[in-house]
Parts: sequence; structure tokens; C-alpha cells
Amino acid sequence: MTVMKTSMRNFFAHKGRMALSAVAVLLSVAFVTGTLVFTDTMNTTFDKLFAATSSDVTVSAKGASDTGETTSGNGKPPVMPAAVLAKVREADGVKSAEGTVFSTSVTVVDADKDNLSPSSGAPTIVGSWNANEARTMKVTEGAAPKGSGQVMVDADTADKHHLKLGDEIGVITAVGTHTAKISGIAAFQVTNPGAAIFYLDTRTAQETLVGESNVYTNVNVTAAAGVSDAQLKKNVAAAVGGDYKVQTAKETADANRKDVGEFLNVMKYAMLGFAGIAFLVGIFLIINTFSMLVAQRTREIGLMRAIGSSRRQVNRSVLAEALLLGVVGSILGVGAGVGIAVGLMKLMGMTGMNLSTDDLTVAWTTPVIGMILGVVVTVLAAYLPARRAGKVSPMAALRDVGAPADAKAGVVRAVLGLLLTGAGGCGLYLAAAADKAKEGSLWLGLGVVLTLIGFVVIGPLLASGVVRVLGAVLLRAFGPVGRMAERNALRNPRRTGATGAALMIGLALVACLSVVGSSMVASATDQLDKSVGTDFIIQSDTGQQITPQAVQAVKSTPGMERVTEYKVLDADIRTPDGKTSAKETINAADPTYATDLRTETVAGNLADAYRPDSMSVFEGFAKEHGIKLGSKVDVDFKDGTTATLTVRAITSDDVVIDKGAMYASIATAAKYVPADRMPLDQLVFATAKEGQQDAAYTALKSALHDYPQYTVRDQTDYKQALKDQIGQLLNLIYGLLALAIVVAVLGVVNTLALSVVERTREIGLMRAIGLSRRQLRRMIRMESVVIALFGALLGLGLGMGWGATAQQLLALEGLKVLDIPWPTIIGVFIASAFVGLFAALIPAFRAGRMNVLNAIATD
Amino acid sequence: MTSAVTIPRHGGTGGRTAVAARARQVVKAYGSGETRVVALDHVDVDIARGQFTAIMGPSGSGKSTLMHCLAGLDTVTSGQIHLDETEITGLKDKKLTQLRRDRIGFIFQAFNLLPTLNAIENITLPMDIAGRKPDKAWLDQVVETVGLAGRLKHRPTQLSGGQQQRVAVARALAARPEIIFGDEPTGNLDSRAGAEVLGFLRRSVDELGQTIVMVTHDPVAASYADRVLYLADGRIVDEMYKPTADTVLDRMKDFDARGRTS
Repeated sequence: MTVMKTSMRNFFAHKGRMALSAVAVLLSVAFVTGTLVFTDTMNTTFDKLFAATSSDVTVSAKGASDTGETTSGNGKPPVMPAAVLAKVREADGVKSAEGTVFSTSVTVVDADKDNLSPSSGAPTIVGSWNANEARTMKVTEGAAPKGSGQVMVDADTADKHHLKLGDEIGVITAVGTHTAKISGIAAFQVTNPGAAIFYLDTRTAQETLVGESNVYTNVNVTAAAGVSDAQLKKNVAAAVGGDYKVQTAKETADANRKDVGEFLNVMKYAMLGFAGIAFLVGIFLIINTFSMLVAQRTREIGLMRAIGSSRRQVNRSVLAEALLLGVVGSILGVGAGVGIAVGLMKLMGMTGMNLSTDDLTVAWTTPVIGMILGVVVTVLAAYLPARRAGKVSPMAALRDVGAPADAKAGVVRAVLGLLLTGAGGCGLYLAAAADKAKEGSLWLGLGVVLTLIGFVVIGPLLASGVVRVLGAVLLRAFGPVGRMAERNALRNPRRTGATGAALMIGLALVACLSVVGSSMVASATDQLDKSVGTDFIIQSDTGQQITPQAVQAVKSTPGMERVTEYKVLDADIRTPDGKTSAKETINAADPTYATDLRTETVAGNLADAYRPDSMSVFEGFAKEHGIKLGSKVDVDFKDGTTATLTVRAITSDDVVIDKGAMYASIATAAKYVPADRMPLDQLVFATAKEGQQDAAYTALKSALHDYPQYTVRDQTDYKQALKDQIGQLLNLIYGLLALAIVVAVLGVVNTLALSVVERTREIGLMRAIGLSRRQLRRMIRMESVVIALFGALLGLGLGMGWGATAQQLLALEGLKVLDIPWPTIIGVFIASAFVGLFAALIPAFRAGRMNVLNAIATD
Repeated sequence: MTSAVTIPRHGGTGGRTAVAARARQVVKAYGSGETRVVALDHVDVDIARGQFTAIMGPSGSGKSTLMHCLAGLDTVTSGQIHLDETEITGLKDKKLTQLRRDRIGFIFQAFNLLPTLNAIENITLPMDIAGRKPDKAWLDQVVETVGLAGRLKHRPTQLSGGQQQRVAVARALAARPEIIFGDEPTGNLDSRAGAEVLGFLRRSVDELGQTIVMVTHDPVAASYADRVLYLADGRIVDEMYKPTADTVLDRMKDFDARGRTS
């Protein structure tokens, strides 16, 4: 009991010294809980939505996906004839049934041709207004659409784009562009996370979305009283026959949930991964805090031992303090986590994703996971310092320990660290030299982990060397103050090492990713320069296909020399070795594509692949299936019949763009795929006549003005877009890594603050013999800068090594060019110096404020 | 009250006054109202240049406070303190720090040295901080005097307690301050090491003309001084010139006896 009492007293006596460790635990726990609460809330929101929108039983066309999402290659939803509805109505147990038409392959624009689709990635849905919809939507303004000239819009979209009754709306589909005026606005009765929804009357929907009347995408069936969904499904399935997909409400909702759930899970685990990194960094902070507390308390512990405390008791008293710290930090963290979740929801609200705090879901497991993680990590981190406390000899009570003696990093540490780093280096070397990506990534992972641990272990040893070099370069200019700062940073290498290592982890990841990212851009740019022979690329940034009308608009633009269409067709391929490769894709393009993208071949001439009934395969595929020039392969088009094509070219795998593509001409594909099922173009390439590029670019842009879903880019813009895209991804990751870096900076503040406390007498002495406040503050700031730069140097060096290795490995995938983003690297290095300055602000201020006499008198 | 002035022996300081520091009506009080404690009660004192002055008194008499105030480490509640011609009462921290750095030397009872610096770095620290180059010849002489020539590259942890205090003495002397203040500089040493350090202080007064003020409660230490001031209850109650250990001890016994009867 006394153990607990001493722990409690110590904990509260030093609560200031524990504060930053508690914040580190708090932040990490908060991030974990926040992630869990946020994703659970998203799940709840979607569950409610899907439960509300599914009818008892839904019948859909065979080609439709389980979620009822209605998209197929030709840009039109798969449909069934109206006769199905009549059959359903006759089935037993049907109270009512209605046919509906929906499509998500649409773009909706306002009168100025501005895109009304959500930018958040949520779908745009255009469909028929019907009874099932009326269960979840309430018409709040105007009336439901009637006749071809009317459209109803959901209230969130109307709000976001300031749409009013009577405004003109354009619905762009593969059929054409349909314009209508807003007749009504309908509000969701459950939370709609962000889809934009537009309603037409059934007939208009059929004609606008499919281009035929008397077809439906779905039939919504309502069960009569006393009939279960499962029974109804059986009855309906029997009535309509096997050509249709019949699902109960639960099945539809589950399929929807699975779809969203997969995405949410990816997000959840990615965020938890970053929380894990923050935890890892926090461990260093906690270890440092407890090491310093134990060091400062050496005499006290010696006294406890002298009067009869056992090692275990001392050990346990330190661990008990850690336990308290973990509990306090975790409780606060769980609370803050809910706040973070609400913050994230608000943030998502700004990007157009509506989430309601009514749906805020805190599963009972969430606080439990947060608490356990926080407490276990804290106690584990305190274990080493606690053991060291247990080893304090009773003699320590008698010795005059002014400041703790300089801890010398041992030989064991050196050997272990070098072994680990060496092994990690070998792993990285093997990764770089690997000729199989899969094997290489294993080595890479191993190398990264081992070098990281190796650097952490060897950090204190490196600290002496690196700090001396940094000192020689940076601190000499500051004379004796600089020298004292350097000596202070050096006096406890373990502490400096651990503090720097915490910063190292985050910065190593930043450096690694920046190297990989910029190598990606450089490699792609290099490839574009070498192989692209066209001027303009037309594509949709949201992955939509290009409608025939838009393609026509491109083709009729003046000044064009040629326009190449490019489609992707699903197919199963049977090769001469007798094997069938399912779910392959054939890239069907106009023959000019061979000029637009100059792909190297290892055999044959690529232009020949565009001859009738010909195709090309890629090197790896040819090798795997023993395909040679002239081999015949059976291509079973999913949207058509089976073709037997002759292989006339084998393309190199040494490419970035279109890696693994198998080409054939559109004309060849058209022989086996009926026109109405032919997929729309994925991409369109346009090449201007010589010398007319600029005019053509402007003309092309204005020709596509009516189709805001497509972007036309010349090579310069395309490269920029690529760069921006990777830049955005990197920024997102940096943003998430910021948490780990913030914790690391807290670690620097913590180390300095505790060092200042520990050196109170020294500071008093220096002030007494004439060190000015300004010099004192400068000394602490410089120590901080040196620690930060030490961490940055290690982190950036390690990260660049990882990045370069990853590039070597990815060279197998076409990442040929290693590009070290020096401005970023140097920027991060310089920023680290400022981080050091910033971290020293409060410790330096407090040191400056110390009363000289009290400081000297401190025991 | 006291006007004990001796002829300055400090080389090359002929222009200076014979009084290195003086306090006039200095009051130092802590707290206010009922809980007000007066540590110094209207103290007047002159510290003669080129002399070794010891301040003695029982615990709580205010002797350390007086030294701290004279040295510019502590502020006074009222009254004035002059260091040579400079009034230090009312100086801002920056000026006070400079004054301590350039004109005052310190020897504390313990923890005098920075553990990260070696002996010679500790000795030259005040000058380094000030950005001044130490006078090489003088430095050599000081180092020679305190007998540290062989240990200049040692860190404090590698030196004995006596050696550490000698480094502190050397540091105090090296910058040629106007006054050196010692706060029980031999309090932590055994009698032999203590005698050594006191011997250095004595010699620096005799041979180098240094002014030294030392707080002590050890009659033997006080016997090295030219003059002993006795403090009790924040007031200077007596003084003695050319003390010996015995006369100091006798005087203290008197005070104790009086303290008990009053």
C-alpha cells in the first residue's frame, strides 16, 4: 500500500513534469478513438440510409451489381422489359410492385453548364420518382416531376448549388443531353451522406437514361401483410424466372454496406496506422520522462532502498506511476477522441459529406480499446526506466549526486545497433537488387523495420558524433554559449538519442514518401516525353466514360489532325496452352493509338496488332502462356461473342503507361460486340495539325464546355495534373504524419523542460557569474535546435535511403527515374531547426524566469 | 557607523575610492503585515578595498542575505548599495547581470562548477560569456597560485572537493573582479583542504590586492580575514580587526550567552 501511496504522491508532486507525457498519450488515444467513432458513425449513417431506401424485395436486371448500382460499359443501366413488372404483380404475397429506372452514369449540370455532381466522390443519381422513394424523401417545395420538362432535386444539392424552382437543369447521359426545369425540391428523411439525386417522371427517366420506353432497371416489390421478405423473394423469383436478380431488403442493404464498408475499412486502418506511428513516437517521450524522473530521484530512491524497500517495490512504484499516467491520459484521450470524430464530421461536411451528430456512434469497445492501448503502451514504455530505478543502489542515498552522471552508451548497444542496422542495410540492398517485386517488397519491409530499430538503438552513439559535427558547423559561431549548448546536448546521449529518434520516425516517413512520390512524377514525365505522340488527352477525372456526343464534339473541333478513341473491354482469354485467364481486359483503340503512344515491342510491330482480327499481348503474359507471334487466342468478350484473334505484336513490360495492356482495334472488337453493348470510350486522344496546337487547345476546351465532367489537357497540363494528384496524396499523408511529428515535438519540449528543471542549480550558477537571460535562453534554444536537427538528419537520411530502395524496387514496375526532391528535403531540414526553436520557447522562457538565489539553493 | 578604511593596495587602481562597496540603511524584508520578517534591518556597512572581510553570525542573522544583496544577487526592500561608484540598488536584471559578470567574482559553498566544462573552461567562463579574451599572463599566474596547472583539462567530476573549490577560486580571481564574494567557500571541505583554499584567498588579498567578502560560521575561517563583522537579527552588532580563531570564538560565545539571557 505504501508503494501505491508513494507513487500517487510522486505522480501528483510532479504532475507538471508528467503533463507532456500525458498529452502524448492523450493525442494517440484520441486519434484511435476518434477514428473508431468516426468510422462507426459513418457506418451507422449508411446502414440507416440503406435500410430506409431498400424495398422489401427488389428485382433487377441480370447485369446489375448486387448493390443495385446501375452502370455498365455502354453508359446505360442494364434494364429489363416492362413485362417483368406484370409478372411480379401476379406473384403470391405481393401487395404492390412498381418499376423504376435509375442510373449513376450521368452528369447533371446547371444552366451555366457547371457540374452539379458532388466533388466528394459520392454518386450522382438520376431516377424515376416513385412510391419507394417517397418513403424516404419528402417533397418540401413545389411538386413531384410530371412530364419531360420537369425535374425534382434533393434539398442538400439544391442548397449547395443555390438551385430554385424553375431553374434549368441538364442531364447528360450516353443517350444525350436532356434539359428540364426544377419543379420540386425533396428532402431526405434520413441522413444522406452526400449523393446528389435528381428525379424525373418514369417515362422521361426511361427515355433520358436508357433511350427506350417500357424498360425498368428495378422493380420494387412490397410484401402483403404477413408475408416475409424471404418468402416474397421466393415467390417473385418463381414468377419472373431465372433471368433476373431478386434480392430481399436485407440482401440489398448488406451488399450496399459491404461496398461502403470496404472503403471505410481502408480508411479506418490507414488512420489507425498513423495513430500507431504516433503511439510509437509517444513511447520515446514516455521513456525519456520516466528516465529523467528516475535520474532526478536517484537519492530518494537510494534512501527508500537504504531503509528497506526491495528492488521490486521501487520498480513497482515507478510502474504504478506509469499506470496512473496511462489511465489519466487515456481517459482524457477517449473524451478528446469523440471530439475529434465530431471535428472530422464537420470537416467532411465542408467537403460536401453530410453526417449528423445524431448518428454519433460510440461502441462500447471503443473506449475500452482506447484505454487498454493507452495504459498498456504507457506501462510498457516505463518498464525500462522502472527497471533502472530498481537497480539504484542504497549507496546512492549517501552519495552526493549533483546532477546525474553522464550516461555512457554501452558497447552492447553499439554492437546490437550495428548488427540491426547492418541486417537492415542488407535487407534494403536485397530489395533494391530483387528482380521480383513480391520478394523485393518483403526485403524492403524487413529492411525498413530493421534499419529503423537499428537507428533507434544506435541513436545515442550517433548523437555524440552528429551533435559534434552540427556543433562545429552551427554553434561555434555563438561562442561559449554555443559550446555549452553543444555540451548540454551531448551530456546525456541516451536522452538526446531518444528525443531525436522520436522526430526521426516521422521525418523518415516524410522523406521516403517524398522521394517515392517525386520519382513517380519524374518517371511518368520521362515516359510521357519519350512515348506520347499526341497533343491532347480527354478524360473524366471521376472515372466516367466519354459519351458519343462528347466524342463527336472533339472530332468536329477544327484544326485536328486525328482523334483516337480508346475503350476497355472485359474479356476472358483462352491461350494456346489451354488455360483460360478470366477477367482480363482488352484495350480497344483506333490504329492511330500506336502513334499516340509509342509502346516498345519485344516482337512484331505494334501497328499490326490493329489489323483485323489481330491483337497484341504484353511480355509477361506471352511468357506465361507460351504465346509467340502468330499464336491464336480466343477472346470471349463479356459484352459480346468469342473472337479468335492472332497475336501480331508483343509489347515490352518496361513501361509505365498502359503497363500490361493488350491492344486490338475498335473495328475488331465491333465485329464481336453489338453496337448497343459496346462500351463507351475511356479516353480520347486528339492531335492537332502541325503548328495549330494552341488554337486547337482553345477550340477543344470550348467544344467540351457543355460537358464539364471531362477535362482536356495538353502534355504540360497533364504532367502538372499528375504532379498535383501525387502532391495531394502526399499532402494528405503528411497531414496524418503531422500527428506523429507533433508528438515528437512535444518530446523535444519535454526533454528540454525536464533538463532545465534538472539543471536548475547550474543555471543559477551561470546566472550568478554573469550569464544574461538572453544568453541563457539562446543556450537552451540552440540545444533544442541541435536535438531537432539531429533527429532530422537521421530521419531524412534514413527516409531517403528507404525511398531510393523503394524506387529501385519499383523500377520493376516502371519507376525508372530516381528523383530526390531536394527542395522538400532541405525545406524539412530547415523547418526542423525552426521546430527546435519553437520547442525551446517555453523551457527557455521558464529558465530565464528562474530566481537566481532559489536556483542556487535548490538541492 | 564603521569607517574602517585601509590604504588601497590594489595595483593600478589609484583612481578608485578606498571603499569597494557600501550599504546604506539597507532593509530586506519578506512578507508583509503580521508575517513580515526583517532579514536586514537598516544596515550600514563599508567594505574596504584590498581587504579580506568575513561576515559572521548565527543562522538566520541575515549574513547570507547581506552578502547576496551586496553582490547584486538579491534585491533590497529599501536603502542603497554602491559598488565602487555604481549604485546597484534599482538596477535592472540586464545591468545587474553584466555587473556580476564583469566586476564581481563568486565562490559558493558547493556546486561551483559546470559539469560539462573542464577546469580551465570553468575558470574562463565569466570572460567567455562576456566575450573577453582572458589575460594570458594573469591567467597563468592565477592557475599557478591555486596549484591547478596539471589538472586544467579535468572535468569537475574528476577533481576532489578541495580541487573543485580551488578551481572556483581561480575562476573568481581570473576575471580580476573588484570584489569576490564567498558564501561559506570552505563549508564542504575538510580542515586541510579548507585551510588550503583560505590560504589562497589570503594570499590573493596580500599579494594581488584583491577585495574579498566571505560569509562563514567557522571561527577558524574567519581568522584568515582582516576584519570580522558580526550580524544578529539583521543588524551589525559588532566588528573585530585582526581576528584569531580564539578571539572570534570568544566573541561568539559572548553573543550566545547574551542571546540566551535576553
